[in-house]
Amino acid sequence: MKRNSLTLTIGALLILIVVLLLFMFQVRKSEVAVITTFGKPTRQIMDPGAYLKWPWPIQNVHKFDQRAQNFEAKLTEGQTADSFNLLTSVYVGWRITQPKDFFPKFAGNPDPIAEAERVLDRLVGNAKAAVISKHPLGDFLAPAGGGNKFAEIENEVLAAVRQDLRSQSYGVEIEFLGIKKLGLPEPVTQQVFERMTSERQVLISKSQFEGEAEAQKIRSEAERKAADMLSDADSEAMRIRARGEAQALQSLAIFQKNPELATFIFRLNALESSLKEKSVLILDQSIPPFDLFRWAATNISTRAEAR
Amino acid sequence: MERNIQKNGLVNLLVMLGVGVAGFAVARYSQSLAGQVSSLFVGLGVLVAAVSWFQMRLAEREQLEKFELEELARGHDRSALFEAREADLFPAQRSREQFDRFFVPIFTILLGLIEAGSAWLLWRWLAKSPAAAAVVASVKDPFLAMSMFGVFFLLLFILGKFAATIARLEDHRLLRPGAGLLMLCAYLSLAVAIGIAFVEGGFPRADFYVAAVLCGLLALVAAETLVVLVLEIYRPRVKGRVGRPLYESRLVGLLGQPESLITTAAHAVDYQFGFKVSETWVYRFLERAVLWLVPLQIAALLISTSFVIIQPGEQGLLERFGRQVEGRTLLEAGPHLTWPWPIDKVYRFRAEQIQSFNVGFAPDPAREREPVVLWTVAHTKEENFLIANRDARQQGAAAEAAGKRTPPVSLLTVSIPVQFQITNLVSWAYGNEDAAALLQNMATREVVRYLAGVNLDDLMSQGRGAASAELRDRVQAASDGRQLGARIISVGLQDLHPPVKVAPDYEKVLGAQQSRQAKILAAQAEAIRTNALAEAQATNRINRATADRRATEMRGLAQASLFTNQIPSYAAAPAVYAQRAYLLTFARATANARKYLWLATNTHDVIQFDLQESLAKDLLRDVTVPAPKSK
Repeated sequence: MKRNSLTLTIGALLILIVVLLLFMFQVRKSEVAVITTFGKPTRQIMDPGAYLKWPWPIQNVHKFDQRAQNFEAKLTEGQTADSFNLLTSVYVGWRITQPKDFFPKFAGNPDPIAEAERVLDRLVGNAKAAVISKHPLGDFLAPAGGGNKFAEIENEVLAAVRQDLRSQSYGVEIEFLGIKKLGLPEPVTQQVFERMTSERQVLISKSQFEGEAEAQKIRSEAERKAADMLSDADSEAMRIRARGEAQALQSLAIFQKNPELATFIFRLNALESSLKEKSVLILDQSIPPFDLFRWAATNISTRAEAR
Repeated sequence: MERNIQKNGLVNLLVMLGVGVAGFAVARYSQSLAGQVSSLFVGLGVLVAAVSWFQMRLAEREQLEKFELEELARGHDRSALFEAREADLFPAQRSREQFDRFFVPIFTILLGLIEAGSAWLLWRWLAKSPAAAAVVASVKDPFLAMSMFGVFFLLLFILGKFAATIARLEDHRLLRPGAGLLMLCAYLSLAVAIGIAFVEGGFPRADFYVAAVLCGLLALVAAETLVVLVLEIYRPRVKGRVGRPLYESRLVGLLGQPESLITTAAHAVDYQFGFKVSETWVYRFLERAVLWLVPLQIAALLISTSFVIIQPGEQGLLERFGRQVEGRTLLEAGPHLTWPWPIDKVYRFRAEQIQSFNVGFAPDPAREREPVVLWTVAHTKEENFLIANRDARQQGAAAEAAGKRTPPVSLLTVSIPVQFQITNLVSWAYGNEDAAALLQNMATREVVRYLAGVNLDDLMSQGRGAASAELRDRVQAASDGRQLGARIISVGLQDLHPPVKVAPDYEKVLGAQQSRQAKILAAQAEAIRTNALAEAQATNRINRATADRRATEMRGLAQASLFTNQIPSYAAAPAVYAQRAYLLTFARATANARKYLWLATNTHDVIQFDLQESLAKDLLRDVTVPAPKSK
């Protein structure tokens, strides 16, 4: 008997839990909910808390995340006002503001959020292409304050998407939008690579020939400076020597006392100086002191003595 | 009173069919993997229940036929009755025998193949599911799913228990397979509901694990069915003894009645220990108490959810019926008391942990170990960023005139790891569905925007440090603008270089710059040498001139002095003095000279000199020896 009452109690408890689960539901702070009665949306819940409902299949609860959703739209190619092809992608932040409007449009899909993002992606794509075509490339690529209109372009796209959304009543609102990627199509990228390579080639040539020219200038300057130094030194040396000569000239007056002797001595000095290096002399017996051979060691003198 | 089990069989079949369809719908709707796998078990139960029910009908017809024949036999002449062939007399019996002989084995083979094939396909399906790839998979509308599977459990359990009891008490062998499957499906529904509860309780992969266990169970049942088929060939047939239906799984029967598991286990323990363990008070207590011990455990589990310990470095968000609890929204590290699940729920976050993401690259694990990072080798999955090119902008007009239009941009590869910390968990968790992804998007946007406005060469050289600080400030401002509740710790310009394709040309520029510098330095060295030597030479020349000057002066003075003394000597003996001076000078001067002396005077001589060196023509011309004075 006791065992049966325990079984009954546990069974009743389980049934109570099941019933509670069937009749109650919770909505988190991060959620909103739509209650459908026989498939028709009849109530939307925007505030968190515990709520009652009729059990399935009479009523059903569809919960959605009410926080800002964030997705990256497709990278698409567009043309700027100055006819450059530009790849852009944006990230978009959106939020469910009216679950009752959102539900019938997207809840038929297994993943309503993903479906909503697909729809938003198309809207953003249209708005983005329209805005980009109004701006030249320089509006995207310029220093801040130097013509860069990044933020203005984002705001224009955001305004265009919001306008589209207002007319559709999807029950969502776009909160923010930002450009996430800027790129170029592959063929243009190749061209940019080629141009970057050419720019580098210019720099390489510049460096090479500038170095050569600079080196030549330095060498030439050094040689000129050396020549200047040597010519200065030569002129200085000449001046010094001239001073020496001038000083030496003062003693010439003494030689004038006996010019014949002076000349003879100078000639002797000259002879001595000129024979300082390795010399070969061919002398005959008329040159003193070899003229001694004429009298002492020749046949003539021998024969003369015999006669 | 004879019970009409055919009706029970039909009820079992219809209930299983209904639960199977509803269970599959609920499982698909709630995206519960375990729910979908359990629906397959119910589907198999429907097949088995259908065949059982058909067999029951045949058995009932056979019984009715026997009864009618017995009635006829009592009212007619027996001999006349048995003149007809037995096959004509017992068509229902014959039909039942044919069914048992042919249809049941074929059905069992098909059942085994379906079970094996389903186990294989479900296993592959599970392996490909997001939950298997460790992506956090959530069950949609978990309360609905739990309550529905709870209802299925109750329904199947009550019906299964009833069918199993009747089958056991009244020995209806054909009711057993269906009853066993009803019970198993009831327990599987409970397991699915518990799995979903665990998912909701913070174990997101619980549903996946339950589904995987069910797959394994299905494979076991398939193996058992196939083994039973093989053993059936060798089973001894005893006349009059009716065997179990071939498609009845003993494993399912065992799992469908856990109490029989306990009995079996008790017998095994008794056998192992050699005495009646199952008769000890502990065992009997456990056997009696199991009914309330299990709910007690569940209650204890629920109460344990009232004690929450937030680990150091973590923060928790407390929600009561989904609402923030005033004054206790944020739970700091330490123990906390809450209402049990599902009234209160705590969501934990590693708020103090430094988190990071990358902008401009995706790490490539295969190349991360490379010790050298070069511009010319892609070391990550790199992305090219557009950067304004002022030089190209200037060249643009000329290029456009030449009919070639290239955008005035350059491309740059950057690797920017960004580190951040959550500072306001409430803003972080409730403001955005995926705040980390949003922060990464905003950081990428700031990088793109910043690069669009700077010069490539400036950025790659002296502007690098300033860029890092500027980017950090910009990302922080963007984060604050969206009230993300994050603090940007650092934005590191880890790697910044031209794309791999053009990087070699950039290196060549650096090489050319070095070569230019080398040439200039070599020229400077040469200039230094030239100037130093010239300076030395100049000094040398001046010194030599100074020396010459002094020599000239001194020689002049000396010669003058000598001459002054020579004059009296010469005056005293002019010829002798001159001859003496000449001879002394001649001897001194020619001491080292090679001398050839020609003495012949009276012949016409032909003189040949081979002096090896050319002599000056006027070697002797200017040398005049003073004529000797005649004495």
